[in-house]
Amino acid sequence: MPRTLPGWLGPWHRPLPRWLLWIAILAAVTAALVRVRGDLDPAHLTLIYLLVVLGGSASGGRPLGFVLACASFLLIDYYLQTPYGTLAIAKGPDWLVLVAFLATATVATQLLARAEAGAQAARRHAAEIDTLAAERVRLIAEAEHAEALRQADRLKDALLASVSHDLRTPLTTIKALAHDIARGGDERAAVIEQQADRLNHMVADLLDMSRLNAGGLTMEPEINAAEDLVGAAIQQVSGALHGRELRTDLAWSEPVLVGRFDFVHSLRILVNLIENALKYSPAETPVDIGVARQAEWLALSVADRGPGVAPSERERIFAPFYRPAGVSPDVGGAGLGLAIARRLAEAQGGTLVYAERPGGGSVFTLRLPAAALPEEEIGALDAGRSL
Amino acid sequence: MRDGTGLIVDDEPQIRRVVKNALEGEVARVVEAATGSEGIDLAAAEKPSVIVLDLGLPDMPGIEVCREIRKWSTAPILILSARHADQEKALLLDAGADDYITKPFSTLELTARIRAHLRRSQNAQASLGPPQPLALGDLAVDLAARTVRRDGEPVHLTPIEWELLRTLLTQAGRTLTHRQLFNAVWGRSFGDPQQYLRVHVANLRRKIEQDAVRPRLILTEPGVGYRLELPR
Repeated sequence: MPRTLPGWLGPWHRPLPRWLLWIAILAAVTAALVRVRGDLDPAHLTLIYLLVVLGGSASGGRPLGFVLACASFLLIDYYLQTPYGTLAIAKGPDWLVLVAFLATATVATQLLARAEAGAQAARRHAAEIDTLAAERVRLIAEAEHAEALRQADRLKDALLASVSHDLRTPLTTIKALAHDIARGGDERAAVIEQQADRLNHMVADLLDMSRLNAGGLTMEPEINAAEDLVGAAIQQVSGALHGRELRTDLAWSEPVLVGRFDFVHSLRILVNLIENALKYSPAETPVDIGVARQAEWLALSVADRGPGVAPSERERIFAPFYRPAGVSPDVGGAGLGLAIARRLAEAQGGTLVYAERPGGGSVFTLRLPAAALPEEEIGALDAGRSL
Repeated sequence: MRDGTGLIVDDEPQIRRVVKNALEGEVARVVEAATGSEGIDLAAAEKPSVIVLDLGLPDMPGIEVCREIRKWSTAPILILSARHADQEKALLLDAGADDYITKPFSTLELTARIRAHLRRSQNAQASLGPPQPLALGDLAVDLAARTVRRDGEPVHLTPIEWELLRTLLTQAGRTLTHRQLFNAVWGRSFGDPQQYLRVHVANLRRKIEQDAVRPRLILTEPGVGYRLELPR
């Protein structure tokens, strides 16, 4: 942690001015002592120099301390010890004083430097401890937040499971009993059964939307064949076709087109697109399902000959609770189908877009990450060994 | 067909009533349990020929009941599930269940499934495996001779495709999970090739189905596995 200095000391804190300052102090001290050198004992003189060395080394560290010690040694010898003006020593004990001075100054410089290094290390540790303490506080707060989120998640899951179970159990009874009554010829019972199905659909949509919002829907991307997905979608809507034609465009001569996607969620998207296409296009027109490889994408398209979507509505159709203008609230679900579909596509790295169909109608294209089959796998598939 | 006993394990009296209606046309007698432990006791005492088990039981998880009963009973177990997870369906089938049906279901669908499982289990008891050779529409499969013919013409299958067809055929009518198919075709070791199971199925369909996107033999159970349906 840097020490703070008074403003006027600022420049002296930099190395060169600090060295110049202490050399000037040494020169001034020498000049002053030269005037009174006859009146002072050599031991007293060395004590004054020792103070300068200690001051310098405290301020500038070990190198400045050593330089000042050596310079003081020479200055004392030259100016302050007889004979003056030479480096010679007249009396034996004067040597002792000089050597003692040099040793004391060196050791003191060394000790001061160590103390300063220790102080610096202590300051660093203190700073690290401060940082760690702040980090610990942050981590504790994060852990508490995460635990709160987990608890909220558990509660939400329990609530969703409970809502799902509690709503579907009476729906099952209503649907089954209505079915039994409808078999007796009461048409009203068929309506009850139909509405129970609709309610179930809406409950499922609402649950899925809330799970998507809470990030609670897990994706399991695996290698899947496009025609398996299309086949499963056709199988799922087959009960609601009522004679409508569903055309598929797949090149059988080419190898199976594959992608890496979550089968169940992708099926949900495709079924939603096909159901919409059937619902919003004239009964006598077919719905076309296409599959193609487009660069890194596996593109699945659902095209109809319906009225299409006005340019101003083309993004809004993917918003939750969207309902086309003029469509009665008694028709369809909660208006969540396309919003869920797009979110499900994006959650597995794909996209879902609308385009106008040439010649009239709509094309919805679901793009999912394509996958390539490794060489050895293609080999195994093509081997076609006779059995 | 009206012989044997059907067991319903469900804590909701209304659902028991609906399932009982569906079962009554198929079995001679129906017994009911409202808890998992009562269900296990009744399954041991009554030796039912079909069991309809709800997942959300008050005393223990339905999957545990399924595992326990499967230790000593071969009766078909149909799971009633209100759960919203397909992974759970695969877990249930791996735990020994034969089929699952998601609430709300139609009585027609439930009856059809119960009937199919009763017929399959009676066939399995009468003979070990399907008759030889098998005629599946225009397809003739001879498991012993390892041959497949379509309109009299031999169909060339890769060894993996053959193993897939054989596995699905020997357990026709039953949904096999991806894991069960992996184990049957590749053995218990897991590795890279198994991730291409669905691609092999797609190729097999191209060879044996009349229209591979409208399969009539090998049906996809989304997120769970595949089921081979024998033509009626």
